[in-house]
Amino acid sequence: MSLIELKSVSKIYPLGNQQVVAVANLSLKIKAGEFTVLAGPSGSGKTTLLNLIGCLDQPSEGEVWLDGHNVGKEEAKQLAKLRLNKIGFIFQSYNLIPVLTAAENAEFTLMLLGIDKVKRRQRIVELFAELGLQGLEDRNPSDLSGGQQQRVAIARAMAAQPAVILADEPTASLDLQTSEDLLALMQRLNETQGVTFVFSSHDPLVISHARRVVSLRDGCLESDR
Amino acid sequence: MELLNLAWKNLWRSRRRTLITLAAVSFSLMLVQGSHNLSFGVYSAMIDSGVRAGTGHLVVYQRDYVDSRDEKFSFAPQQLVEQIGQLDGVEAVLPRLFLPGLAQSTRESRGVLVTGVDSQAEQRINPFLKGMSLEQLPSLSGREAVVGSRLLKELQLKPGNKFVVTLQSRDGELVSEMFRVHSVVTTGMKNIDKSLLLVGRERAARLAGIPGEIQELAVVLRDQQAEQAVYPKLQRLLKDRPQLRALSWTEAMPNLSNAIKLDYASSQFIFIILLLIVTIGVINTLLMSVMERFKEFGVILAVGASALRLRILVFAEAFLLGVVAMVLGSVFGSLLTWYLQAVGIDLRDFMEGNLEFGGVVFDPIMRASWDWPYMLQIAFFMLLLSLVAAIYPAIKAGRILPAEALRHH
Repeated sequence: MSLIELKSVSKIYPLGNQQVVAVANLSLKIKAGEFTVLAGPSGSGKTTLLNLIGCLDQPSEGEVWLDGHNVGKEEAKQLAKLRLNKIGFIFQSYNLIPVLTAAENAEFTLMLLGIDKVKRRQRIVELFAELGLQGLEDRNPSDLSGGQQQRVAIARAMAAQPAVILADEPTASLDLQTSEDLLALMQRLNETQGVTFVFSSHDPLVISHARRVVSLRDGCLESDR
Repeated sequence: MELLNLAWKNLWRSRRRTLITLAAVSFSLMLVQGSHNLSFGVYSAMIDSGVRAGTGHLVVYQRDYVDSRDEKFSFAPQQLVEQIGQLDGVEAVLPRLFLPGLAQSTRESRGVLVTGVDSQAEQRINPFLKGMSLEQLPSLSGREAVVGSRLLKELQLKPGNKFVVTLQSRDGELVSEMFRVHSVVTTGMKNIDKSLLLVGRERAARLAGIPGEIQELAVVLRDQQAEQAVYPKLQRLLKDRPQLRALSWTEAMPNLSNAIKLDYASSQFIFIILLLIVTIGVINTLLMSVMERFKEFGVILAVGASALRLRILVFAEAFLLGVVAMVLGSVFGSLLTWYLQAVGIDLRDFMEGNLEFGGVVFDPIMRASWDWPYMLQIAFFMLLLSLVAAIYPAIKAGRILPAEALRHH
């Protein structure tokens, strides 16, 4: 059974008197444990598709299923619950909360889940060790390099052991070496822990690491290989 | 707890803005507490002065006397003075008789209010007689009189001079009696100084043809707060004399009571305006803080926080802002009150003569008194206002759409 399934999904945004079709009649299945890249040029609908899978947006037409839940039919409160329990997010510009330390940022979702502080910190210590962030627990995001911040973002995404991690252009703000290291790290997590990753990217480096590349153009599926 | 921790950290993101808002809120709270306590102190002093010179905290009249002020509504106090004097919380019981009449010297004549008093009781209580010894006051049935300073001047009298008082007795006859100026009193209130004539109560009652009777039994309490406790006991003492009626000072001296109410209402109006301005300031701070974190709120929603949790976060920030302002404002308010109580505001530099308000002369050095219940109440009200100010920013935060917020730069 697919972890993620899109059935004839369209997303249309109103823009003044006009309507912009961001995703057009797209169908797609992603199984648990996949390492998939949604590739395509800017404006091809990658981020929109990622938002739909990530329960951040709802389709105008069609159905988006995530781990047995029809995203389009859920209430906002239920969608928040789905995001918390099933999805981890990694953003292009890290988007860590500046007033929290690296460890507090990483354990944020665990805090939302109501897990007690000791257990949270235990999990973060393990994650930080795995992601090469030992010793940086009490640093503020502004004291970390871009690569370190993105690792903290990965720790945050992984902390609650979600069904899928969605990464929107995760290497766009990083240099080549750091991008390479991070991709290798995510690949290792996918292979050793079976974490499902779905990326949106037009970076050839990211695409080269993917086991499956779904190419989009003008909101339509161009290829799936 | 974690949410409060995050809210606290969020507050200090814009340190300057938070400090300015805190200063505005706590300064306003300080002003409201300090000025209320000053009013509270001045009102207390005025009430104290008013009740001691006037009707007492509680007063006993013949039923209709308070409305008509007709001297025919007199009564014999019998054992009431002793009985009331024995009630817990009662400092003094002052029997008085008021008789309109005419005072004549060899040169002039003036309308007066002859007030028959018991000097012994009156001397301890009445602020008009402050500083006067018992020897300077009229005896119960003697011919000595204490005369208002303006009246003395208008009658062209001097201490020791004799003058005649004429009034209508109970049976309608005009009666006259000679008195001697024993002492002179200056109250600071023109009308009183022009008409005050204190004589012994028994002498006045005999002159009016109502020996042993009085019109007013003023009950002065040790503490104004005891009024609620003493009033029902007083009513019980009067239950066998239905023609008598016990009133509180607010009913007996409506001028003073209404003047205080009016003054308090106007200061409350200013407080409300001040608090409204502060609330708008807090709304502005919180709203700016929400709008600045539009994208961050999008991230928080994206990682699984509900809109409700985001709203709670905004309320938590407002709560902490309110608590800090409440504590700081109350500390400053207490310091201001302490200063206003210890040093006060001396109005003698600004105006000449005595200060009169609502028919009462009061100390020209205005001093504050502690009104702890009000201070607490207004401090918590300020906290409540901070939370009210958070409603709109919280609604705004809860309406953020994560996908839209994440696109925001």
